[in-house]
Amino acid sequence: MAVSRNLQGWLLAAPLTAVLAGFLVLPILTIFIVSFWQATEFSIIPAFSLENYQFLLTSPVTYQVFFKTFVYAALVWGLTLGIGFTVAYYLAFHIRSEATRMVLFLLCTIPFLTSNIIRMISWIPFLGRNGLANQALMSLGIVDAPVEWLLYSDFSVVLAFVHLNTLFMITPIFNTMMRIDRSLVEAARDNGASGRQILTHVIIPLSKPGIMIGTIFVLALVMGDFITVRFMSGSQSANVGRLISNDIALLQYPSASATSIVLLAVVLLIIGALMRFVNIRKEL
Amino acid sequence: MSKMRYSRRSILKSGAAVAAASALPAPMIWAQEIKNITLRQFGTGVSNLNEVGQKVKEELGFTLEMTALDSDSVTQRAATQPDSFDIADIEYWICKKVWPTGNLQAMDTTKIKNYDKIVGIFKDGKLTPESVVAQGTAPNTVGFVEGPGSTAFAKEQTQWMTLIPTIYNADTLGIRPDLIGRPIESWAELLNPEFKGKASILDISSIGIMDMAMVCEASGKIKYGDKGNMTRAEIDQTIAIFTEAKKAGQFRAFWKSFDESVNLMASGEVVIQSMWSPAVTAVKSRGIPCVFQPLKEGYRAWGGGLGLSKSLTGMQLDAAYEYINWYLSGWVGAFLMRQGYYSAVPATSKDFMTPNEWGYWFEGKPAAEDIADPFGKVMAKAGESRDGGSFYERMGHVACWNSVMDENQYMVRKWNEFIAS
Amino acid sequence: MEPRPRSFYALTAFFVLFVIFLYGPTITIAILSFQGPQGGLTFPMNGVSTYWFHNLFEQQAVGDIWGSFRRSFALGLMVMAATVVISVMAGLAFRKRFRGSAALFYLTIASLVIPSILVSLGVGLIFDRFGLKVHWATSGFGAQLTWTLPFGLLVMFAVFNRFNPSYEEAARDQGASAWQTFAHVVLPIIFPSVVGVALFGFSLSYDEFARTLLTAGSYNTLPLEIFGMTTNVTKPVIYALGTLTTAFSLLIIGVFLLAVWITARRRARRMASLAKAG
Repeated sequence: MAVSRNLQGWLLAAPLTAVLAGFLVLPILTIFIVSFWQATEFSIIPAFSLENYQFLLTSPVTYQVFFKTFVYAALVWGLTLGIGFTVAYYLAFHIRSEATRMVLFLLCTIPFLTSNIIRMISWIPFLGRNGLANQALMSLGIVDAPVEWLLYSDFSVVLAFVHLNTLFMITPIFNTMMRIDRSLVEAARDNGASGRQILTHVIIPLSKPGIMIGTIFVLALVMGDFITVRFMSGSQSANVGRLISNDIALLQYPSASATSIVLLAVVLLIIGALMRFVNIRKEL
Repeated sequence: MSKMRYSRRSILKSGAAVAAASALPAPMIWAQEIKNITLRQFGTGVSNLNEVGQKVKEELGFTLEMTALDSDSVTQRAATQPDSFDIADIEYWICKKVWPTGNLQAMDTTKIKNYDKIVGIFKDGKLTPESVVAQGTAPNTVGFVEGPGSTAFAKEQTQWMTLIPTIYNADTLGIRPDLIGRPIESWAELLNPEFKGKASILDISSIGIMDMAMVCEASGKIKYGDKGNMTRAEIDQTIAIFTEAKKAGQFRAFWKSFDESVNLMASGEVVIQSMWSPAVTAVKSRGIPCVFQPLKEGYRAWGGGLGLSKSLTGMQLDAAYEYINWYLSGWVGAFLMRQGYYSAVPATSKDFMTPNEWGYWFEGKPAAEDIADPFGKVMAKAGESRDGGSFYERMGHVACWNSVMDENQYMVRKWNEFIAS
Repeated sequence: MEPRPRSFYALTAFFVLFVIFLYGPTITIAILSFQGPQGGLTFPMNGVSTYWFHNLFEQQAVGDIWGSFRRSFALGLMVMAATVVISVMAGLAFRKRFRGSAALFYLTIASLVIPSILVSLGVGLIFDRFGLKVHWATSGFGAQLTWTLPFGLLVMFAVFNRFNPSYEEAARDQGASAWQTFAHVVLPIIFPSVVGVALFGFSLSYDEFARTLLTAGSYNTLPLEIFGMTTNVTKPVIYALGTLTTAFSLLIIGVFLLAVWITARRRARRMASLAKAG
């Protein structure tokens, strides 16, 4: 019986296993192997060399870049969590009609159907030196000269990240909130809890799984990104993803692979630690 | 069937039939087969224009598929995906990187009709007999190999050419004269604190490092042995100077393809930057003043050419030669010269340009009437003349070519650090 | 109805600001896509016209928008079909614990969080090492599945966590085969979520950039083409494309809402007539 149960499970899961084995496990193994190889300007040479790691781990730039990656991740996480939670809370607990809630939620998702890259670059005419934001600020007399840090700065990078990724926070939080038993909220209110107390003692604890899932999404997306940072910083700042993509562009696959392996280890450690706080499978 | 036709063509090419064949336009003979031929060309957006593909279809009958990429992706594809293309439209410094992979095949110059008319720069390296070859990866140094199949470059002209030169130009800094308001004469101005937050440089290491070298040398901060082949110490110094400037906020952004530079310049984000000629043209055609400023230290030059994939054989290879001969026969050259580049065989392009256009673009004369770009937009009014003057004045003042150095890998790593710092 | 608390108005204001933030850039590019023929990618406007929308349907100086659109559409459908079939099967598998199921689950989660560019790099390297040609329909397809399958599986978990097995038991008691039980009982119940998985699969694939970057081969998919356009095109035609995409998405959602509304009304009417008959 147990054998046939295992067999049935494996048969049904076989396609998934095959895809993940072929397009995830094998590629990551390859990256791992190649990270010990060496490269010329145009080809990669099988070898066993720690030179890539040595260069990576001894360069101060590596640490700056990893630090920058963490800073972006932390800022974006904080902002998307704040915004995502508030929006989800508003939709789940303040909107009374099911239909309105549906429409408002869809309203939040529509921009996410436009190409990420287009949404990113559409900030440029808005934030530029002669962009809409500066024109508005100047015509209102708030500033005399255009504000430079609006574009091609850390500000614009974080702004674009938040813009691109907030939905990944809203959706899981909204999802868990909708499953909170309303009678719990009623009971708390009947017992004289204030709105703030209900929020901190009932809703936030019960929304934790959603917050965790959202956190995992956002951290994974921000830490692995390379294109947002390139566009929004005008190539002026770098996160780990850009380090990798620069190396790839210059055909330095082994050194890109070494950086990838370090990034992978860091991401998996962080996500693994987060997973301890929530049983994703049960909480969906 | 296809083989038979092909052999008929071979027969036709030989013996008495040669006369008949050359009397007829050659493509007519294999008109049926050639419709089915597709050549896949890729390269930078500079010359991978769909207009060229259309014209090929009209005049030669076969299909030319174009894919435009940035320089780094072009290098990558040429080096690692030899099956993904038939014709590579690459720059000479890319050729230096890619040729040793053996992904390209050398071309027999005896099959190139206009070979004799190709400008000297691409053959012995000399524009005029008195010229001196500039520093860097000059096209003649990577233009020939000893024989078909050889992966080492020949020191002198041989029968086997690596790339058939297509376009080239002399680059300098682009400026917004309206926003700067004073004359700019030296490369050193790029790091002038006056332009803090309003300068830009391109993020393509092989080209960017040369612009940097021009700047460092002009400001007297570094004396190079050979800019085109720096030592590690020279690379370190150069990058250090620019890293410092970057940290001080000198640069607004870096750009990777010329269109980005157009946007930076047109929107006023940047007032002085490394730039390419058509980018200046594009800014001007929007009615925004922009000058491709000749500087006293000279130009940084680049050249591009067409290379053939080693997998091309038989009819496809014939079609490729057909295409290359057509490319050098004038129409494309004129089309590209109208955007500010130079054609490798200017003599043939002259027939496809009006005397006014020829005078403006090649001879550096004031325009007799308005000059329009290939898409019909007016970009120079009557009386204006080209920045930098004539072909010989501009190409005669080349200080260095885009290059790949012996320490290229080290440079690339330092460049990556510069971008990341 | 009880009166709204004060916090409601503050939150409504916040929500409105958020929506403005979300749509701000979309609106900016919508305005800029009506640039005059001489206009550039940034303000100021240089006349007003629909030139760039017409231009979008003409041949561009470089690249091939509509070819890449067709490829992305085809790839989206392929990924959608594969995602639906594979996730439903895996979802069924995970209903019962089997040896290695925990490991497979963590692998799926890993697939979700591993930075996209790593998958792209790895798949590209493998194809290169084995001398295979990268193509959007092979390597690109596989690389995208590593992104859509975890989503599909998570949705299936959510469904089966709340699935009442007594329906199946009833069917089985009446002599239905395993396949019949699945086709006539399970599938109709999970169908709405399967549609959700399908939509997820399609839209995630349609917009995937990093995973296709090194795995698409000679022909660009739409996001790669758009990326190319951002570096090769200096004209507002790219904004026209963005505006059209958004309008298209709005249209799809509108149709979807209308369909939901119509079915709801029909059902209500049927219920009403049933009630009358009863």
